[in-house]
Amino acid sequence: MINNKPRIAIYDFTDCEGCETKLVSLREKLLLLEKKVDIVNWRLGQEYFEAGPYDITIIEGAPITRHEVDLLKELRENSKILIALGACAALGGIPAIMPEKDRKYWYEKIYTSQYAPRGIDAVPLSAYVKVDFSIHGCPIDENEAVRAVEELLAGKTPSYRGYSVCFECKQAGNPCRLLENKPCLGPITQGGCGAICVSGGSPCYGCFGIRDEANIPALRKILEKFADEKEIERYFSMFHSRTEDFNKNKEK
Amino acid sequence: MISNEYIAKIEGHGSLTVNWDNNSVKLNIHEGERLFEGILVGRTAEEAHWITPRICGVCPIAHNLASLYAVEDAYGIKVSEGVKLLRKLMICGQMIQSHVLHLFFLVLPDYIGIDRGTELAKKKPASFKKALSLKELGDEIAHVVAGRNVHPVKSTVGGFHQAPTKKMLEDLLAKLVQTEKNAEWTVKVFSELKYPEIRVDLELVAQSGDKIVSNAGKEVLIKDYKKNIEEELRDYSTAKFGKFQGREMFVGALARLAVSPPSELGGETAKLTAKLNFQNPFHNNIAQAIEILQYHKQAHEIIEKLLNMTLDVAAKDGPSQSEGPSFAGVGIGAVEAPRGGLYHEMHFDPGQEQRITYANIITPTVQNLTSIEKSASALLEQIQGSNQERQRLLNMLVRAYDPCITCSVH
Repeated sequence: MINNKPRIAIYDFTDCEGCETKLVSLREKLLLLEKKVDIVNWRLGQEYFEAGPYDITIIEGAPITRHEVDLLKELRENSKILIALGACAALGGIPAIMPEKDRKYWYEKIYTSQYAPRGIDAVPLSAYVKVDFSIHGCPIDENEAVRAVEELLAGKTPSYRGYSVCFECKQAGNPCRLLENKPCLGPITQGGCGAICVSGGSPCYGCFGIRDEANIPALRKILEKFADEKEIERYFSMFHSRTEDFNKNKEK
Repeated sequence: MISNEYIAKIEGHGSLTVNWDNNSVKLNIHEGERLFEGILVGRTAEEAHWITPRICGVCPIAHNLASLYAVEDAYGIKVSEGVKLLRKLMICGQMIQSHVLHLFFLVLPDYIGIDRGTELAKKKPASFKKALSLKELGDEIAHVVAGRNVHPVKSTVGGFHQAPTKKMLEDLLAKLVQTEKNAEWTVKVFSELKYPEIRVDLELVAQSGDKIVSNAGKEVLIKDYKKNIEEELRDYSTAKFGKFQGREMFVGALARLAVSPPSELGGETAKLTAKLNFQNPFHNNIAQAIEILQYHKQAHEIIEKLLNMTLDVAAKDGPSQSEGPSFAGVGIGAVEAPRGGLYHEMHFDPGQEQRITYANIITPTVQNLTSIEKSASALLEQIQGSNQERQRLLNMLVRAYDPCITCSVH
């Protein structure tokens, strides 16, 4: 499907660039990965630039401005494989908490009414184009990124973890938050993160994406035992207010 | 459309419009608006420090702490000595992480004739190894104290969900001992580079205690930050442009060393700090290298203290105290982030839900944007050469400021 030494472009749209920072934290492993590919366009990392088409385009961040939306569509046309890197690209992320209808109000509050906004809406890449694979997380787990790229290099389509965060959470030896009446989205969230947030004492807000066949209504029922509707909504809306999976399930 | 229209090797999307005839430069900021100050309204006191690190993945710890300080200020929450020390240690990790990333991956390539930071591995493998050892150290400090190198998971209002174990701190101390000579070497490397010589009349501004202090002798209280740091709109930018009492300001490593020279540094480094040219923004790179050593030494001292005490990090009183007499409703959190003074202000409604009713955030890069343009003009006036060469120097100048455009358009 792709060449021996694929030409890769790495892009960042509007976001915190924390997932790219995670890639740099790979250190020696990044060097090994670099040897197997040809990074021909990476604004954050290098001046060197080659125009498309690309074998693999990795995009971090949410397309918020018109310019980013147009560029995204062009990149899709010029890429054999398009990968979303991190929660902003895959789910809309934290920026997607802001509803489209409220943007005008906040532009005026934050910038005054004199300001000509550039942003349209903060949504995942998949709102505009087909995404071939998502490397999930806010931020990503850098080793999951290596796994995805290595699977691509081996000619495979990368696969998602076939289990929820709960599986990794048990392995980490954490007591179950739900049993302690603390909100947690672990049961419906895809694994791969190593349950790092729960292990550190924080809730799971589901940044690794909703896994296949997740039973969202069942989790809601458990949450309703100790949390009110507003609190539950706050948990789901941290990363999922604009994802198709979540909104589809919500209506059931 | 697929083009290299933005300045490479800086965080976020910026470009320069240069008027070669009158030496004026506009710094266009293209980042989309995320409207964090709107996102925060309606969320709760307990969510602020989870949401704001996502403003910037290069300095998430600074945002995490600024939000925690703002919440604790509003609710009158006091924290233990151990918590204070662990937070200081987080900042040490943050400074080392951010400065090492900037200096070795974004700055150094300009000066040694390579493009991508990783090319250093081929050109000077021993140097690259030293640089990586410091990157690893910064990440490890963040990991041990905050639970992850990007976006903390262990810190919370009033304390930490968990304290690092004695073993984790001992291992970290061993790593610090191993890498100290690499931090010293970094100072040597960056102090010996040949920087463009320019002189710009800038006011250097940094936080010191509960004050904001400038090298022009001005002192204002942090709680009056909004009155003193003004933000303006520019039609070519999605970020606001900051000024200090109406003047272009410089914040970050160079300003911190100008305003409060660190006491930890002995011998050669102290001499070097005294020799810095505080009117040359390029010297910010030397200042960052000095700070890597400074925070490296500080981390060492803090861990020794932590190992000699019983750590109590659990939050004493959460924001459930909102009905109590200590509830002020308004909180300001200020932190010296890697790129300079960071301010988070939050207001809360007095109810049980602890909802945020107002948020204001001023990031370091917002404060630096106005002065980047001024320094760029000065560079064009003071350095002759072809436009192509001067364009290259302008890009290097922007990089010397280590702007985080991502932060500036929050």
